[in-house]
Amino acid sequence: MLELLGSVIVLTGSVFLFSAGLGVLRMPDSYNRIQTGTKASTLGTILVLLGLAVLHPAWTWKLLILIFFVLLTNPVSSHALARAAHAIHVEETESMIVDRLDESEDAPPSEGQK
Amino acid sequence: MIKRVVVLLTLVLLALVFSDLVLNYIESPVLSPLGHYYATNGPAELGAANLVTSVIVTYRGLDTLGEVTVLFISAAGVGLLLGRREGNAAAAQPRKPASEIVQSAAQLLMPMVFLFGVYVFVNGHLTPGGGFQGGAIIASGILLLLLAQPYAVVSRRLIGITESLSGFSYVVVGVLGVILAGGFLDNRIMGLGQFGSLFSAGAIPIIYILIGFKVGSELGSVLDRFRAGDQ
Amino acid sequence: MTGLPLSTFALASGLALILIGLLAMLTHKNIIRMIIGFSLVDTGIHLVMVAIGYVTGGSAPIIDDTVTAEQAASRIVDPLPSALVLTAIVIGLGVTAVMLSFAVRIYRAKRSLSIDDCAESKW
Repeated sequence: MLELLGSVIVLTGSVFLFSAGLGVLRMPDSYNRIQTGTKASTLGTILVLLGLAVLHPAWTWKLLILIFFVLLTNPVSSHALARAAHAIHVEETESMIVDRLDESEDAPPSEGQK
Repeated sequence: MIKRVVVLLTLVLLALVFSDLVLNYIESPVLSPLGHYYATNGPAELGAANLVTSVIVTYRGLDTLGEVTVLFISAAGVGLLLGRREGNAAAAQPRKPASEIVQSAAQLLMPMVFLFGVYVFVNGHLTPGGGFQGGAIIASGILLLLLAQPYAVVSRRLIGITESLSGFSYVVVGVLGVILAGGFLDNRIMGLGQFGSLFSAGAIPIIYILIGFKVGSELGSVLDRFRAGDQ
Repeated sequence: MTGLPLSTFALASGLALILIGLLAMLTHKNIIRMIIGFSLVDTGIHLVMVAIGYVTGGSAPIIDDTVTAEQAASRIVDPLPSALVLTAIVIGLGVTAVMLSFAVRIYRAKRSLSIDDCAESKW
């Protein structure tokens, strides 16, 4: 019973990882690709590790620490990549309407801005 | 047009050869005779629990020395190609400061990354890992520092001294093997200790610590070269 | 354990990676994409080497509670291909670093990353 639950969770995680790869192929421009790739693959990794924790309960604490590190590093690195792509003016898709990063960089920096 | 046809033809022919390899591949049911020797005599002779480490550092130690040399030459090549800049100095281009997310994450992560790197190469003879992997982890910690503080100054003299001293000490340990034990890079110059504990396997931890420092500082200097002044 | 030919899968994916990497190296014009193709060929070769060293039902070549020193010869995979792949990974890293610094110098000299602009030596 526990084995079935764990395998279902791992399978769901792998579906998310597959959709991350599909998203990287099908999205129109770089910023969309960065977003899909990171979100879906981070969730897929977390689900695979959780399913593994259900299948092998002795490894639970180690896997939870791993999930913590993945959650800490994956979004930060994709954030740094996306900001770098914006800084060298990688082209956006034609259907883009609003660019908030451009607006916030053109306005002069105010004192109490967070 | 001709170019595409030739490329496609090459790849199809290669795919035919590869598929022949895959279809006639039979998994070996037992260990090869050389692997058998390493498995039966390795732990008793050398005292290291990680058999891959005992192969890399002792049985094939000369290959590892060559690999450290190749890494040194490639770092020197990168330093030569991206070295001094003709014309305007690197300070002419202002570097974009890092965002708050990256700075906070770097403050939280950098000590953990360095600690993990040191753990990996100190325990190279007990768990999977070793000098090269630990050195790469330390270099990624240095990359995190360079990303979070674009104006951080990495002292090239310190990196150069660390790298040269580690490489030199590696060769000194090898020569000590000739003087005190069986041959060049023999790890029995120190006692084999208790199997599976941290201070075991003779000189293997010492060699891996030296390799870890060398690889870490080398890759860190390569990353620093790629950063200094863009155009 | 399950009877699946694991090392054949690894061998097939390694060889497929080599083919994909060669395709990338031969069809793109951007230098960075050619370097990525080279890195793919590297990874494929490492996979092939590790897959060849697999022994049926074997476990990792590390001696601890699960595999004791007396059972080592009958229960581990071959440690030699793993050691060779460790060396190969480091050397691949060094070669990629030198290739990338060449790409930076070409960009500084010609302001373009396409290999069609570096055709002075062609005859």
